Amino acid sequence: MSQPNSLTILDPTDEINPLVRVLAPRPTTLTGTVGVIDISKPRGDVFCDELEILLHKQFPEVNVIRLRKPTFTKPSPRDFRLEIIRRCSGVIQALAD
Amino acid sequence: MSTLPPVGSHAPAFTLRSSREQEYQFPAATDAQAELLIFLKHDCATCLMIMPVVEHLYQTTKRSGLRVLAISQSNEDDTAAFLKQNRLTFPTALDVDLTVSDHYGFDAVPALVLTAPTGAVLGSAEGWSKLAWTQLLGEIAARCSFVPDANTILTAAIEDLPETRPGCGSRTHEPEVASRLAASRGRTLLAARRVNIPVRQDPFEFMVDRGLTDGLPVVPPTEQKVVEMLTGTSRTPSEIVAKVPPNLAAVTVEKVAINAVMAGCRPEYLPVVLTALEAACSDQFNLHGVLATTYFAGPVVVVNGPIRREIGLNCEGNVFGQGSRANATIGRALQLVVRNVGGGKPGEVDMSTLGQPGKFTCCIGEYEEASCWDPLHVERGFAQSDSTVTVFAGESPRAIRDQLSRSAGSLATSIGLALESVAHVKLHAMGEAMLVISPEHVRTFEQDNFSKLDLRNCIQQVTARPLQELLPDSVCEKGMLAASLPQSWRTPDGQPTPEARTRKVPKFARADDIIIVVAGGTAGKLSAVLGGWASGDAGSTSVTKQIVF
Repeated sequence: MSQPNSLTILDPTDEINPLVRVLAPRPTTLTGTVGVIDISKPRGDVFCDELEILLHKQFPEVNVIRLRKPTFTKPSPRDFRLEIIRRCSGVIQALAD
Repeated sequence: MSTLPPVGSHAPAFTLRSSREQEYQFPAATDAQAELLIFLKHDCATCLMIMPVVEHLYQTTKRSGLRVLAISQSNEDDTAAFLKQNRLTFPTALDVDLTVSDHYGFDAVPALVLTAPTGAVLGSAEGWSKLAWTQLLGEIAARCSFVPDANTILTAAIEDLPETRPGCGSRTHEPEVASRLAASRGRTLLAARRVNIPVRQDPFEFMVDRGLTDGLPVVPPTEQKVVEMLTGTSRTPSEIVAKVPPNLAAVTVEKVAINAVMAGCRPEYLPVVLTALEAACSDQFNLHGVLATTYFAGPVVVVNGPIRREIGLNCEGNVFGQGSRANATIGRALQLVVRNVGGGKPGEVDMSTLGQPGKFTCCIGEYEEASCWDPLHVERGFAQSDSTVTVFAGESPRAIRDQLSRSAGSLATSIGLALESVAHVKLHAMGEAMLVISPEHVRTFEQDNFSKLDLRNCIQQVTARPLQELLPDSVCEKGMLAASLPQSWRTPDGQPTPEARTRKVPKFARADDIIIVVAGGTAGKLSAVLGGWASGDAGSTSVTKQIVF
């Protein structure tokens, strides 16, 4: 019931209570396959190259694979996300410019 | 048009009170054989004319199984005075808020509805018609046991009256009442969650606190305002218009109407807002990317066709500026939907580094009447008589000042040189940009029969630079990246080939990427360019859609 003289408005939002996104648990050690993802911004490959060298040097037991988003301007396609899940035990994603 | 309940249907049930707090229900739980409802108002001459007949009818049939109930649209005092002055004794209920009159759907009083005890309609009449009344009296006589001579008395009572006389307008059609009743009817169609703003709390502060505004005051979207807004479209409130990025939330016509109210739109703007939203939520426009980019771009709305004039959209002086309600609120409504329904908020998914004022609102009409060229929508395959909306992911307008060129060739060259600066002088082979040509500049092109194609080609020609000048170098590390060049222009190690370095690269990847719109005041040799964002599959491409009313 509205109170006397109160103003009733209509909700302009989508009325979906935002779900709190919980971050995936962070790995305590690096094992298995780590994906280094280039989101395909210019010079992202430069950063990823350096990262891959460091990973090989400091974690020789880790298998590093390189992945690349088709474009940084759009969310990752579903197939790409599934590929990450299938192939990687952890990922490092690089922004660049 | 009158929509009195037809014969055989059930007349709407109701409970009303008289001035003496007597309660009247319809259908009545009595042993009446028939019920006659008479809607009237005190200042209606036709009502006054037939009152003796109604009084006779009441007196001669009250013990014969007919229940007569008058329903007054006038207020309590006027109704009481009317009954007293005319010595009327039949029971009269007050339709204080006129909702019963509204449910019965007539346009004029007196309005009569004769029903069986179940409420099933036996006959009806609006205004005065001797023939219709005679038929109703026949129905009454067939069902009720009249006292002797009742028919004779009634026939005599109506004998001196004219054959027909129109009634007076029902109070339900008075503008303020009609608006309130429409809101009341429409309320049940509205699905949105109701939010109560407590007493003594400022509605604007309340909405700002909940993150529902763009920072400027908004109109509180009450049920009545939203119902009024929905009269601007024939689309049903529950229809899903689009899925709005970034949350890909399904937005209904009703939700768009709510945000349009908040933005300050009039109902007739709603079709433009709905179509702009559909265009902005297309894959081609890529609103998610437009929001998420650190770049400046926001949706620039361009309206073409007859609707511009119908809704008073400014196409002329100060077209990007303040002062025109349609321009200011249509663009704003689109942005509020993106914010409130799609969840595209600055600092969250909207990651623009600097933004731009057009992200509050940016909507213009093309000044088609001042143009010697086909307007934008005709270029894109629509008829001149179609009304369309184009959305383009653009920056703020930037001035192109040329008050000296007297020939089309010079002016086109001059505009081309000015366009070199879009985004960065060393960035070429770019995607879309929007060129807004003012009427004075259009006249210079018109006098030399210079087409849009001529203008585009000239811009491409004067902006073409050898690739070598556009590559990053030690003087300026900004420039076109080798990786962005076609494969055939690169050596196996990815560097530009010597031959490619001599190739001339125009400012835009394709001449058609230069969108040309005519707008602005008739005085001033000034035009403008709005740079775009990334175009093509990886970015945003402008979209034109026909407006659905």
